[in-house]
Amino acid sequence: MTRLRTFFNTVVIGTVAISWLVLSSLVAAVFLNIRRDKTGRAVRKFVFIQSRGIVWLMQLAGKSLRVDVSPRPSGPCVVVANHASALDLYTISAFGFDNVVYITKGWVFKLPFFRYVMNSAGYIDAEKTPPEQMLNLCRQAVQKGCDIVLFPQGSRKDPQARFKSGAFYLAKQLDLPVVPVAICGTQTMLPAGHFTIAPAHLVLKSFPAVLPADYPGELGHLHMAQAVKKQIMDVVNQETELCNK
Amino acid sequence: MITREEIIKQTNEALQKEFEFKPEQLVPAARLRDDLGLDSLDAVDMVVVLEQKFGVTLRQGYDLRTIVTLNDLYDFIEKLAQTHTN
Repeated sequence: MTRLRTFFNTVVIGTVAISWLVLSSLVAAVFLNIRRDKTGRAVRKFVFIQSRGIVWLMQLAGKSLRVDVSPRPSGPCVVVANHASALDLYTISAFGFDNVVYITKGWVFKLPFFRYVMNSAGYIDAEKTPPEQMLNLCRQAVQKGCDIVLFPQGSRKDPQARFKSGAFYLAKQLDLPVVPVAICGTQTMLPAGHFTIAPAHLVLKSFPAVLPADYPGELGHLHMAQAVKKQIMDVVNQETELCNK
Repeated sequence: MITREEIIKQTNEALQKEFEFKPEQLVPAARLRDDLGLDSLDAVDMVVVLEQKFGVTLRQGYDLRTIVTLNDLYDFIEKLAQTHTN
């Protein structure tokens, strides 16, 4: 039964998902007139709607979807999540973050369609942007009311990998609260390096914001990274048994 | 005076605790950037961690860019410890 469901998910839902991403991007390019949207706000809103569509398809492909949302800070924040699947990117929309700037690896900026949308939305290339410039770009994004989203593990290769401290250093420098997000089940649904979509239980949970002021000192950002990782991975490890069923 | 073995032990302990390295990753030939995946911010954090661990100042008057491998790091701290003792 699981094999049949995986086949259906991959062929039918996978095709619908890719069509949705490509066609909605084309429609957006025509109707939103992306090039004239200087602030990128309309593009980010479009990405939010696009991502919600993918989350809905994930729900169809999965066995269950549970979303636990903690109230978000009143102003902009840094959102950090664990990362084990290409689907993680879209799950951020399930928490209602509708005006976000992603900081991602350089290769994502080379993808056709996505590259255009990402540049228009003001997303930041983590590999190409020097630290000082990145800080300035993030400051500008925050001034526009954007939340900054990062996956501090940096890649999908090791789901238990350490959280690098850059996201937390950024939060300290810009004095922004950090919202931890736990993503569980996407690794079962679409693991790194796989192209089949397996049915899985999905659990998405956001936590109350963590404040940089609670982690003083020269190594505060490093200790905040360790504490947030523990908070997230405790939930991920606890839910993994359910997600793997 | 602190011995080289003690420097290696304390450095590795600090790196395991703060950067979640496994003991088997911390071989002398391991390159900090390419093998251990330390980025520029990690390098700064590592210096602060080691300063706190050994009670020395690493940031002033030294070219830390010459430190490529863990072995280079052990050598550097050993040399610094000797200078401080003298």
